[in-house]
Amino acid sequence: MSAEAAAEDHDDHHHELPFWRKYIYSTDHKVIGIQYGVTALLFLAFGFFLMMVMRWSIAYPEEPLPGWMSWVFSEEWKARWLQDGRLTGETYNMFGAMHGTIMVFLGIVPLGFAAFGNFVTPLQIGTVDMAFPKLNMVSYWCYGVGGLLMLGSFFMESGAAKSGWTNYSPLANFADGQIINQFLAGQTQWLLGMVFLITSSLLGAINFLTTIINLRAKGMTWMRLPFFVWAILVTGFLLLLAFPPLEVAALMQLMDRTVGSSFFVPTGLYTKTAGVIEASGGGSPLLYQHLFWFLGHPEVYVLLIPAIACVAEVIPVNTRKPLWGYKPMVWSILCVGFLSFVVWAHHMYLTGMGPVISTWFQTTTVMISVPSVILLTSLIISLWGGSIRFNVPMLWAVAFLPMFGIGGITGLPLAFNLVDLHLHDTYYVIGHFHYVVAPGVLFGFFAGIYHWFPKITGRHFDTFLGHLHFWPSLIFMNLLFFPMLVQGMAGFHRRWYNGGDAYLAKAEDSVNVFGNTVAEWIYLNPLMSWAAWLLALSQVPFVINLVFSIRWGKKIKNDNPWDATTLEWATPTPPPHGNFTFDVGAYRGPYEYSRDDHEGDFFPQWEEPRKDKPAEEPVKEPVK
Amino acid sequence: MADSPEAIQKARNKYLLVGLVLFVFTVVTYAVATQPWLDFGEHGFDAADATIGLGIATLKAGLVAAIFMHLSNEKRTVYVLIVIGISTAISLMGLTGWTFTDPIKYGDWKKGDKFYNPEKVVE
Amino acid sequence: MEIPFTVTARKDTGLFNAKVGIWLFLASEVMLFGGLFSGYVFLRIYADYPWPERTLPVLPGLINTFVLIGSSVTVVFAWASLKMRQWRRFQVFMSLTIACAGVFLILKGIEYKAKWEHQAVRMDDFAVIEGHTHKAELDEKGHMHVAHGHGEEEHGTRFWANRLIFKTEAASFSLVRAYEPWVDTMLEQAKERHAELVASEDVFLYGHPADYPAPEVERKAAEQKLIGEHKNSKPSQHRFGKNSLYVAKGTPLNYRLLEKARGVFVAGRAGNAKVRTRVLRSKWDVAHAEHPGKPNWEIADRVKIEPADLAGKVVGLTPALSFDLKPAIPLVLKRSWIRNRPLAAGAEKASLRDDTSLTGHLEDSPIALAVDAVDFRFMAMKAEEADKNPMTVIERSWIFSEKNAHAEDFKKVWELHKKRIKKVEEHLVDKYGYKDEAKKIPDRVPTETERYRIGWKDLVQYARAQKMGVEPGQKEFAKLRPTMTEGFAGPNHKNKEYTEELHPFLELEIPHQKVSLESKFTPKWNTYYAIYFTLTGLHGLHVVGGAIVLSYYLFFSKGLYRRNPEWLANRVEVGGLFWHFVDLVWIFLFPILYLM
Repeated sequence: MSAEAAAEDHDDHHHELPFWRKYIYSTDHKVIGIQYGVTALLFLAFGFFLMMVMRWSIAYPEEPLPGWMSWVFSEEWKARWLQDGRLTGETYNMFGAMHGTIMVFLGIVPLGFAAFGNFVTPLQIGTVDMAFPKLNMVSYWCYGVGGLLMLGSFFMESGAAKSGWTNYSPLANFADGQIINQFLAGQTQWLLGMVFLITSSLLGAINFLTTIINLRAKGMTWMRLPFFVWAILVTGFLLLLAFPPLEVAALMQLMDRTVGSSFFVPTGLYTKTAGVIEASGGGSPLLYQHLFWFLGHPEVYVLLIPAIACVAEVIPVNTRKPLWGYKPMVWSILCVGFLSFVVWAHHMYLTGMGPVISTWFQTTTVMISVPSVILLTSLIISLWGGSIRFNVPMLWAVAFLPMFGIGGITGLPLAFNLVDLHLHDTYYVIGHFHYVVAPGVLFGFFAGIYHWFPKITGRHFDTFLGHLHFWPSLIFMNLLFFPMLVQGMAGFHRRWYNGGDAYLAKAEDSVNVFGNTVAEWIYLNPLMSWAAWLLALSQVPFVINLVFSIRWGKKIKNDNPWDATTLEWATPTPPPHGNFTFDVGAYRGPYEYSRDDHEGDFFPQWEEPRKDKPAEEPVKEPVK
Repeated sequence: MADSPEAIQKARNKYLLVGLVLFVFTVVTYAVATQPWLDFGEHGFDAADATIGLGIATLKAGLVAAIFMHLSNEKRTVYVLIVIGISTAISLMGLTGWTFTDPIKYGDWKKGDKFYNPEKVVE
Repeated sequence: MEIPFTVTARKDTGLFNAKVGIWLFLASEVMLFGGLFSGYVFLRIYADYPWPERTLPVLPGLINTFVLIGSSVTVVFAWASLKMRQWRRFQVFMSLTIACAGVFLILKGIEYKAKWEHQAVRMDDFAVIEGHTHKAELDEKGHMHVAHGHGEEEHGTRFWANRLIFKTEAASFSLVRAYEPWVDTMLEQAKERHAELVASEDVFLYGHPADYPAPEVERKAAEQKLIGEHKNSKPSQHRFGKNSLYVAKGTPLNYRLLEKARGVFVAGRAGNAKVRTRVLRSKWDVAHAEHPGKPNWEIADRVKIEPADLAGKVVGLTPALSFDLKPAIPLVLKRSWIRNRPLAAGAEKASLRDDTSLTGHLEDSPIALAVDAVDFRFMAMKAEEADKNPMTVIERSWIFSEKNAHAEDFKKVWELHKKRIKKVEEHLVDKYGYKDEAKKIPDRVPTETERYRIGWKDLVQYARAQKMGVEPGQKEFAKLRPTMTEGFAGPNHKNKEYTEELHPFLELEIPHQKVSLESKFTPKWNTYYAIYFTLTGLHGLHVVGGAIVLSYYLFFSKGLYRRNPEWLANRVEVGGLFWHFVDLVWIFLFPILYLM
């Protein structure tokens, strides 16, 4: 390599970069990871706020929003979107659709895959940066543009998208159809924002996969990779292969909206405002659903797998034991990745598929629970016989296990198409997936944040604030989502904007079975709403902790404060440009804790083997 | 990947030959589709024409991939990536197709319904 | 800090980074185009209308296939030259590749343009007419007539003869939703025909409760009006109070006025909402206090805002302003602007999609076109579904009825067409015999397209014969049929002289009430064109992107070639891989879209 080749790379480390090159347009994976992380946390907070407003309408239907919630909106906005201060159905739907979209596409995926992945992966495989640093920066800015489009759509005359985060045609085709210039319609901007977000994820996936395949340090064979890296590898493949069909669906729906094509418009469609639609017809709304869920299902594994990755890193460090069942876990996660592509129509059991194909999807869906259970069980067994340090990251990681367990188990009834006939589109589904994502995935991410914060900043989080964040969060998460499972089984539908008050049986002696059932369980609504609002309050200690500890947190004593074994702890703190100050290699597995043949409590991956000791394991020459 | 001058020269000849073959195949595809004396199966477009057309296209694609894109010289990693990509595409198309061809049918069958088969309707 | 394996390959994978990256990218592209192809397959199989088979002119697509294959060869030669450090040769081959891309895009542009200029109409009896709309203009009485020939700019601008002519007396514009380009169009048309859009009456728009009512203002306004009339000045609007607007009767319309009025409306609405919210909140507080512990759904019906609570605190809102057209003139409107379709003949109200409401009278607005195809396949399909004989239904359709002024011509063409099909049937029976000798079922029959679609060559042949006075039975008739070289990208409607000399077409005026869908050959027309434009458009964008990258390597890489030729060779190889993929997609697109 010539010196000029190095100069091709803009980040010349011989002189200090200006602020905007160092923090805004950086190509360093660590800076980009933090950019993603901060942006994603802000979006998560925004999505949370949307849901808080929705929960008012559910708990206290017909009552205007309270002052403490509505002060953020302008009077003009409130006049347009609220009715005498009360949430209307249209506004509720808008908030609901954007809550889902923001949480999934702007919050969890960027936080898990892009933020954690970016910061940790190159460090854990022992290389200097991602394979394509400039592409990495472009990915972040595509995400930024997509996010801005989504946020900006709230301020349009049409409002933001309001047809569910799933955006099914034909409703999504025609919502905001009254806006003449479609590019100013929230639904269209949702689609354009998605195109940017998909581009960002695709470019990111290419970057991650190339890095993991081609840039591993010497001695870092596939089976010596930390589980985190395997997880990011699988997530990368899911994003790479599953997103393009959604891009196709978004493109087709965009064309339906702007040039009047009929990809998803069936013949003879009639709407109240326009009568028989003047479109050619001949299209298929089902086609949209297939294309959407072809992404949609792998997408939920994209949400989950990075969280399992974080937990799988935190647990061995704090039990001082290797991860139990590393190899089965690797095979399981590969199986989960592969199977996730062939289960998608379990979201579509009520679309009129015949028994044979429904059975296929039912079978694959039940099958995919097996590797997931293997993963969870291995993590649980990893605790057995460990010398457990219940520091704050470990609290989050251990709490992840039962929370994800509940989420996973409640998914099983939904896998069976017969049971799903009753549970589809009920609060049971909402309870199930929120259990997986909220107390599940988010707890995993908090574990990761608390675990890697010392490496990123060189300081520790405050422990008391950490506990003040954890315990109320755990309690309120359960108070919020468990009743949803109960209400769902009673038949409460999703997306009821007044919590179900319209379905209550009116008379005392009514024989309306459904109305009576709703009356039996509707009292849970205020309980859940208060749990949600208190859950929001419980995040305040985290924000305080974050801001406080970056400047005044207790400084770490050495570069490896947790006494961990994976390569990211071998760098200076915070890691400089180029990451490692020595020629790093991997000489053993990633979780060598409490080894019988080693004096110390742990044997880091990067420590060269002692010359006088016999070889630890025959180093196999990689044969490809 | 070829590195030596002789190898590159041989490769160039191979590229030219493959290019020519692709041209010929294109003409064949066009002829089969438009010339009446090459009309297989039913008069006009039918499954036989589709099979031949797509078959020739697949052959051409295979040649482009193997020779122009050097796939025949690559190591395993690339094949793994391609196989993963293509099998995902096939599972998308195949399974989606299966859902359409195995519908639940409610109500009365009448002429003009897809899959209307009077012999199979149970009274 | 250097990233390893950017130029040399890693031993175990045998790849350098960019190659891993490009193959991953191509895997995702396979999924992208795979998604589109599967969309194509499902849309075609489950189409509930006759799928247009082989209606695209094949020649441009065929040439494009050769061009792309050629460019694949040249790009790999470019790479080989670079590996051999032959700079000049690299430049030559890369230039050829980019030139091929250019030719591809030009041909594609020609194809697209021909489609975007081609009109299609589906009638309510499912007859499909294709052709080229004429330009039309309005005469003094405001009736539409086709503008033949050049330079007949008698009565104002010409417009395409697929519009609706609505003689408008008054227009009411929604303050919040009125769409500026449409308002401007109406103002322009009014100006052209020496008419004015003026406010129909005095309007007081209140934005703040303190401004309401405004007797002082009203008195002053009445005074102003008298003065105005006396002094011959134009009526206008002016602000008053805290945030209110007075619009005098006769104020001319412009979009700024609507914007001002909208501002007042929004402010008024916001003020009202604030008051109502406050009142409702206090009502709820009272209700909660009176029924402690009861959930909302048990007491909600008792909580209401009474009008007395709002007295004096809210304003009446005016959401729309009404304007008269003096004098009433016909406005030329695009069909897609109308919300309350289908408009009956002579309808008196037209609602536009931006909530503008027009009062007046819908004039006759037939679609006037030069016909180059008549397709009865959809009609035949619907007839068969209803268990009727397709031929009977076709021969009773509007185009052959006395309601069509040109019915005779079309009847004659249809007779010729039937004769032609009979010949094809006989030829097929001669060649392939019978499948079932007893029932005389032939082994091969003409396709639906052949049987029910009258193509442009038949229509042009007849129109030429008509023009030259040749009868169909005569020998010269056969010579008038267009040859293979005419119509490279479809029937040529280009300029008037050319058209009248070589390609006269049959004319048709389709009354607007009988039109169920009209469109150019765009994605709106049917799902076939929708998927065609999406597939070829996306593919074309990939050609453009690839060409840009390859151009970059052609023009800006001399420096890199000097410093690190192997790195450049690798980058060109990666660019070439993308280019081959683009060629690969076209190899499938061509037979699927053009030949099937």
